[in-house]
Amino acid sequence: MAETGELMMGTAERCHDPYLRCALYGAAQTALGVTGCCVLAHSPQGCYLLVNAAFGWQDADYTETQILSTKLCEDEIVHGGEELLARTILEAQELGVPILFVLSSCGPEIVGDDIVAVCEDIRSQVEFEIVPIECAGFRGDQNEGTDIALDAMLIKLVVQEREKVPGSVCLIAPHANGNPTWIGDLAWVKSVLSQMGVKVLATLTHNTTLNEFKNVASAEGCIVLSHDSGQKAADYLANQFEIEQICKDMPLPVGFTNTHRWLTELGKKFGAQDVAERIATEGEKMVVEQCRRKGLEQFFMHRAPAAIIADATVGVPLLHFITEDLEMVPRLLCLRSCLPGAKKMLERELKELNISPRVAYNVDVYKSKLSLSEVRPEVVFGSNIERHAVEELGIPFVFRLVNPISRFRSINREYFGYVGMLNIIECIHNDWLDRYRSKERRYKARW
Amino acid sequence: MDDESIAFKGTLQQLLEKVEKGEMIPKLQASHAPPCKFWTAFQVLNGIRHMAPVIHGPKGCTYSVANAYKMNSCEYRGVPMEPTSCTAQDEADVVYGGEGKLLEAVKEAEQRYHPELIVIFSCCCSGIIGDDVETIAQRAESEVDAKVLAIRSEGFGGDFRSGYEDAFRVIMELMEKPSEKMKKTINIIGARQGPTYTEWTQDLDEIERTVHAIGAKINGVLCGGCTLEQIRQARAAELNASWCYDWGQKLGDLMEERFGIPYARTGLPYGLKATEEWIMGVAIPLGLEEPARQMIQKETRELAKEIDTIRQFFDGKTALVEIAEFPGPIRALALARMAGEFGAHPVVVNIHPYTIKERMPSIKYLLQQGQNPEVILTKGLFSLGTFRSSWQTEVELETIAAQYDNAVYLGTPLRQPGVPQVNLTTMTGYPHFGYSGIKNIARLVQSSVENAGRSRSRLFRRVLYGGN
Repeated sequence: MAETGELMMGTAERCHDPYLRCALYGAAQTALGVTGCCVLAHSPQGCYLLVNAAFGWQDADYTETQILSTKLCEDEIVHGGEELLARTILEAQELGVPILFVLSSCGPEIVGDDIVAVCEDIRSQVEFEIVPIECAGFRGDQNEGTDIALDAMLIKLVVQEREKVPGSVCLIAPHANGNPTWIGDLAWVKSVLSQMGVKVLATLTHNTTLNEFKNVASAEGCIVLSHDSGQKAADYLANQFEIEQICKDMPLPVGFTNTHRWLTELGKKFGAQDVAERIATEGEKMVVEQCRRKGLEQFFMHRAPAAIIADATVGVPLLHFITEDLEMVPRLLCLRSCLPGAKKMLERELKELNISPRVAYNVDVYKSKLSLSEVRPEVVFGSNIERHAVEELGIPFVFRLVNPISRFRSINREYFGYVGMLNIIECIHNDWLDRYRSKERRYKARW
Repeated sequence: MDDESIAFKGTLQQLLEKVEKGEMIPKLQASHAPPCKFWTAFQVLNGIRHMAPVIHGPKGCTYSVANAYKMNSCEYRGVPMEPTSCTAQDEADVVYGGEGKLLEAVKEAEQRYHPELIVIFSCCCSGIIGDDVETIAQRAESEVDAKVLAIRSEGFGGDFRSGYEDAFRVIMELMEKPSEKMKKTINIIGARQGPTYTEWTQDLDEIERTVHAIGAKINGVLCGGCTLEQIRQARAAELNASWCYDWGQKLGDLMEERFGIPYARTGLPYGLKATEEWIMGVAIPLGLEEPARQMIQKETRELAKEIDTIRQFFDGKTALVEIAEFPGPIRALALARMAGEFGAHPVVVNIHPYTIKERMPSIKYLLQQGQNPEVILTKGLFSLGTFRSSWQTEVELETIAAQYDNAVYLGTPLRQPGVPQVNLTTMTGYPHFGYSGIKNIARLVQSSVENAGRSRSRLFRRVLYGGN
């Protein structure tokens, strides 16, 4: 069903209620994906809390990763904090880590602390590798921070001359994903590659060892696992090491069609079409059988006017799934970012699906709420924020798929692939049932 | 105990002196990083209903406080989630300045959210480049209907305490000269609630119950979910009383100095004596001494059984009160006092020098009141607030506890030193304050005795301290 479409710009960045944190956070997320590392925030103590939050996002084991801060105060802002940074790096020696990432925040960058020079000066005095990352919050949002950190890591840690390993890839930016347990998505991708006989030489980043960085240049291909960041790293690898980007311009594998296409593309690239076809056939069969056994609610999904408010990584691929497989009618799509590649991809998707929902890029919370109040969908795929935002709008269902979600997940659950479809359906069912729990009681129980 | 494991052993007074001389500074700059001034200023002002913040800074600072203080707490607090907006400062703003953008953002915030109050917060970026948030606030106020305040809250500009204090100072600008006093009415000050996950609502409920029970009224809890109107009327109250002495002290002093409103200086109402002091600190200035005494006698009489339970638990024991993680240093000192009141020898374990430094005025006040407990600071906690120290600190705490043949432990379930242990973090254990608190603490200590022989689970031990 085609509707009148309207491509809107996001909120002008004057009064902005953000969905995303800043570049420092994205850089910290990326750095903390390196096993056994220490992250030193050259920052006031408040930014340390930001790094602490990034720690959780990378699922880092607190017994294995260290985070420090120079806790800058007025003195260091007035007189400079380079000396304090140098001293803290030297003191970090006692932690016995293999690598230290030094991240600069807004304050020291504005006053001109040169963290690159400090790290170079001190490198010979310590036994660990040091990677400075200039990622002040004002440089952009967390997705841009991820790109900045990947850039610094690739330049500093990748060994330039390496022999290619046939049938190998590196995976980029798995953590730039709104799925709060995105580690499940990464695991699914690795499992699929393994079935196709493809070697993953490096994951940039999650549980990444220093050796993996050394191997990056040997990769034949790379796969960007995000539509929100990582493209710059892929471009760098292509230019520097002739590493081909695979599944480029293709929605990530959410839903039957996207997953099948994605697998087929990989299969073609690595000569494993039969494996790809087998995974798809078995996966589709499993989803269908499981839905027959456990139930798949159609009554509220069929032709339900829907909104997606999410990052591009989840939001763009989800469009195909809810339209084609769940028979909903997307009326609104609000994306938290706006990379040119993702935008083009979305435009192709809309054309292919023959739908014209209202689309907004780089949205903030206010813009999303305003759009919801104008479009008034029946269901919203979003986060805990939308759950609150719709309270006064009479929108009955919010399915919490993307961060932040006020539900604890002890198990990493993928949205990618076939089990991923069931995980999404499970979220939908649970939130749907919750909506039917009356907050009032007509009479009191007697037991 | 092995001196190798001890960073400090002495009295609170001696620790304070060392901190004042700058002798107790941990080597690595990692440990014990509380929020910065911006976070804590936001925490306070976020407790004003329908306040629209305009944070003059990048998105990271904004999302972080929104996430920490609104999204995760509004359901628990029963308050709606409201916007947290910012100017999303970028590189161009840093180079060219962002005052114009800020002014537009304030106007936009009014159009969008229709607030009664807009507060501009400066961050590191806007502070360093010299954007004049105060002047913009003045100018904006002439162009919008809302009241507009500004606070210089750049993260590097002070410790976390300074954020609270400056925020309380700023709200004084909203307080209007009253035409008449509100009789027998007080303000509860020093709160940072709203949707913020900081204070325990149950403790505040107990304070309110107590105040009403003696026949007094409360104008508002500043800034614990108060309205702008309650702040405006705050000068009409006869007295300020503190929800938490530490956080209320600055506002209490300032309002006394500037508006002549007396401030009831009392510690946290843990146990019988401190509760009585708190109540009489309110009752006497309001002329409600008699109903207060009657109330104290009645409530104390009704709690005879619980008081006996608590006394049996503490009498003749060494009470190790640990505050590394929870319940926080001022509460720990109040707990130590309560343990002493019921016959124990309190030892406060792991009150970090950083904490002493940031709470200096309150610590000094407590010392003046005669609270000077023994303090032990272990090297594990002192050196680095990480997993390693967590493991080290557990071992050190077990060693400390083993040195006494009669120790009991009050603190967090992150530790289990092998002696009767009171878990102060259970939800149903609240309130701790006042007479309802005594009832709960009696239940907690009873459980502690009944379960003293249980060992730490293998799961908890391995998750908390590592190993397989």
